[in-house]
This record gives sequence, C-alpha cells and structure tokens, in this order.
Amino acid sequence: MLHHCIAAENRKLRGSPIWVVFFLLPLLSAAYGTFNFLQNQGVLRFNWYNLWTQHTLFYALFFFSPLVGLYAAYLWRLEHLGHNWNLIMSQPVPPLYLFMAKLAVVFKMALLTQGWMLTLYLLSGRLWAKLPGLPPAEVFLWALRGALAAAPVIALQLLLAMLIRSFAVPILIALGCGLAGVVLSSRGLGLVWPYSLMIAGMNSNKTEDALAGSEFSFVLSCLVFLAVFLLAADCLLRKQDVKA
Amino acid sequence: MNVIETSGLCKQFGSHFAVDHVAMAVPEGCVYGFIGPNGAGKSTTMKMLLGLCHPTAGHVQLLGKAMNDQNRLALLRQTGSLIENPSCYGHLTAEENLQIVADLKGVDKKDIDRVLDIVHLQKDRRRKVGQYSLGMRQRLGIAMALLGGPRLLILDEPTNGLDPAGIQEMRALIAGMPRECGTSVLISSHLLSELEQIIDQVGIINRGRLLFQGPLTELQKHSRGDVVLRLLHPEQGAAVLQRSGLTVRREQQDLLLPPLRDARLAELVQALAAAGAGVVGVTVRSCTLEEIFLNLTESGVSAQ
Repeated sequence: MLHHCIAAENRKLRGSPIWVVFFLLPLLSAAYGTFNFLQNQGVLRFNWYNLWTQHTLFYALFFFSPLVGLYAAYLWRLEHLGHNWNLIMSQPVPPLYLFMAKLAVVFKMALLTQGWMLTLYLLSGRLWAKLPGLPPAEVFLWALRGALAAAPVIALQLLLAMLIRSFAVPILIALGCGLAGVVLSSRGLGLVWPYSLMIAGMNSNKTEDALAGSEFSFVLSCLVFLAVFLLAADCLLRKQDVKA
Repeated sequence: MNVIETSGLCKQFGSHFAVDHVAMAVPEGCVYGFIGPNGAGKSTTMKMLLGLCHPTAGHVQLLGKAMNDQNRLALLRQTGSLIENPSCYGHLTAEENLQIVADLKGVDKKDIDRVLDIVHLQKDRRRKVGQYSLGMRQRLGIAMALLGGPRLLILDEPTNGLDPAGIQEMRALIAGMPRECGTSVLISSHLLSELEQIIDQVGIINRGRLLFQGPLTELQKHSRGDVVLRLLHPEQGAAVLQRSGLTVRREQQDLLLPPLRDARLAELVQALAAAGAGVVGVTVRSCTLEEIFLNLTESGVSAQ
C-alpha cells in the first residue's frame, strides 16, 4: 500500500518547477564554496579536504535545510492549493502512509541533491580549482551521513509544511533553524538539534572527522528524531479534522 | 439494508452545533437527496460519514459496519466521494490525476478509460486540469469518485458551477447509478428542485437538524397548502371560523385557512352554510416541493 502512495507522490512531481531549484541551488552553493576556497588560499591549504569544507559549509549551513524545506513545502502546497485534503484523506490508505510517501519522495530528492552536490564538488575541484589527485574517500561517507541526517530534517519540514499553509514560512523556519544549528554545533549540542545533524554528518568546516567516536549517537539521534516526527504526523493526521 | 446509518450524530464548534443529533438512514439502491440551505450542516455531516471530521457525539455506520479506525480502510475502498470543491492537481492532466487516485485506491489503470467515458472527458484526458472549466473539474471529480466501482457514492453539491446542460447531464448520470452500477448515492444540494427528478429518498437539514427524512412521495404529501374560502358574507364567516379556533387570514374577498384534513374542512363548510355565510367556493392550494422545503427550513419544524 505504501508503494502505491509513493507512486502517487512521484506522479505529482511531473512537470513540476521544483526541478529547476533542485538544479540551481546546489550550483549556487558550489560556486560560492569554490570561490571562497580560492579567495582564502592564505588561510586554507590547496587540497580536496579544504575544498570540501568550503563546499559543505555553505551547502549544509545555508542551502540544504531550506532546500529540503522547499521540496516539503511544495509537496504539501499541492494539497493545500487544490482542495486536495478531502481527496487524499478519503482514500483507502492509512493517513501516515500519505506522510511517509511524501517523506520517501523528498528523501529521494535529497539523495539526488546530495549526488548532484558531490558531482559539482568533483567538477569544480577538477575543472575550476584544478586540484591535483583525487578527493579523499571519506567525502563519500560524509555525503552518505549527510543523507541520513537529512531524514529527520525532511520529516520535520514536512510536518511544518503540513500544518502551515503558507509556502514561504516553513522555508524561512528551515533557514532560521539551520543557522541556529551552527550555534548549537559550536557548543557541542549538535546531536540534540535536528538541523545540526547535517553539519555534523557532512563534516562541514572541519578537516578532522567531527563524529569520530560518536557515530552511534549520531545514527541514534537521527532515528529518534525521525520516529518522533513520524509519530507526531500520525497523531495529527488521525486526530485533527480535515480542512480542505 | 441501509448503506448509511447515523444515530445522534453531532458536531459542535464551540457552543455552536453544526450538526445536531442527526439520525440519517440511506437505503441501499437509492439516490438520497440531502437538501439544505448553505451552512445547514450538509458538508460537515458528509465529512463525518467519511471520517474526515470527527463527530462530537453519535455513531456512523456505512455498508453495515461502524465507521471506526478498524473498518475505515475497508469502507473507504467501497466508497467514492466528492466533498466541497472538486479536488485536482492543476499542473497535471486529467489522466495523470486519475492515475494518482487509482494508485491510492489500488485500482487497475484500465478503469480510467471506463470512468473517463462515463463523464465524457475522453477527448480532454491529456489536457492539463488547470485549463479546465469548473464544470469539467466537477466531472473529473465524479470520475475520481467512480474509480474502482464503489458501492456507495457520496457527492457534495456536484452540480455547483455547472450550466443547465451540465446539470441535466449530471442528473442523468447519477439517476442511472443504482440501476447500472449497483451504486447507492447520497447527493447534496441547496435546491430541492435541482434533484427532485432523480431522488427516491430525501433528507432535509437546516441549522444542523434533520427536519424531514423519508421517501420523496412522503414529502409530497406535505404539499397540501392553504384552503381558500370565497363567501358572500366574509365577516360572518370569519367569526364562525375564529370561534372554531382557527387562524383566519383575509386576502381581498377571500378567507385563507391553514391546511386542513378533508373531514375537518367538510365540518367547517357545513357550519359556515348553517350560519348563513354563503359559501361560494372552496379551493385547496398545493405547495410546490420548493415551498415545502422553505416552510420546513424556515419554521424548523420536524416533519419526520
């Protein structure tokens, strides 16, 4: 039944303007990161590690949360705008599956975004910065950890976009919470704030592994946040009256 | 068997009862017209039937089973609905919209052709729904509701925004549902006249209260209107009638009496003649269904 819901969500993305944003935002982030890397050669070493820190600093801090926030807001906007709440909630599927299908689709888009970000990192390192050699293998692991950290953020953004009918407000919240994540990360509280998990997972702005020794706590934190947001969504969808 | 049955169904918003102890019974194989002015509680009742809105009190049974968390999915699988406005994804074509609903219902894609045929949208199936007129969207909404051949259709004002030809077409489509598809239909409207040609059963709701429920023929019995008396001496006649405890109104030379049973009317005519009022004519006016509806909704008197 869940795969039927995911198929339905995937159909809704056909011809959607969201793909333009998917393409452009990581491009902007990569351009900004590479430019920053090249302009700060006095402080940064000329290697793949430092290019990664500059890329993911902007990507994880400023771009990723609003980007998944935008994906989430778009999917719920389709329901808010077309009076579609009555339609989806009167279908013979558990309400949580509708939410989980959106989660799966936004997660898929987040994975594609991670892949696109990684491609841009490799291309800008090789073609723009003209870095010698190959990037360290760890960056692939960090990108994967970033994808895992994306799951609770996506669930929370979907929850916000489900409750807030405005398209822009949940995205602005994502931006604000992402910035708050920087402060909390710097105080060592990165694992208790969902928006900080991305920074920790992606190893943003650090050349040594920020999660060394605390990988288990990181995974646990991701899973606990995800479970809490899914439970909240289930409860709200079941208990609240539908307003189309 | 009743395909829909509610008992003591209530929905309260603050101190206001949007639906007030509604006991509705929709027999299988019928088209049930759920009639009431705007804001009467029709949509809220229908939303409670589908589990979209939680009752403050009371119970809902669909197809013989209680509408609860346990039975919800099984019941929705056999129910098609169109509530409030037609829902759609404007950036997608009609076919893609139907595919989404087919995915959610777990219905074979072949059924899309069938429902597009029924609502006459085959020609426009690959047009984006954003470019559709309201009438076309209504028809698409009906097509979505018909996917999977449901046993019960719940349609909330599906004729809204349709032109007269569209209304006629929709009526023909719905009237044939029980016979051709074995589907029972609950359809709402704020105009009785719009549905009286196609419904067998009727429920009239106002201010959240069900004022009348039963066969349309039963409602038509309430169509007996005022009695008009033409007398040679109306003043004399009025005095006789008032002594009998009746409220008499004057309309030029005529006296108007409220609806009366035949036996009572015969007695009164005899009394008038005996008193020398000079009975020249007795006419019984009949109400249109629309007038009955207005009488019921304005007075709030239950005719159940």
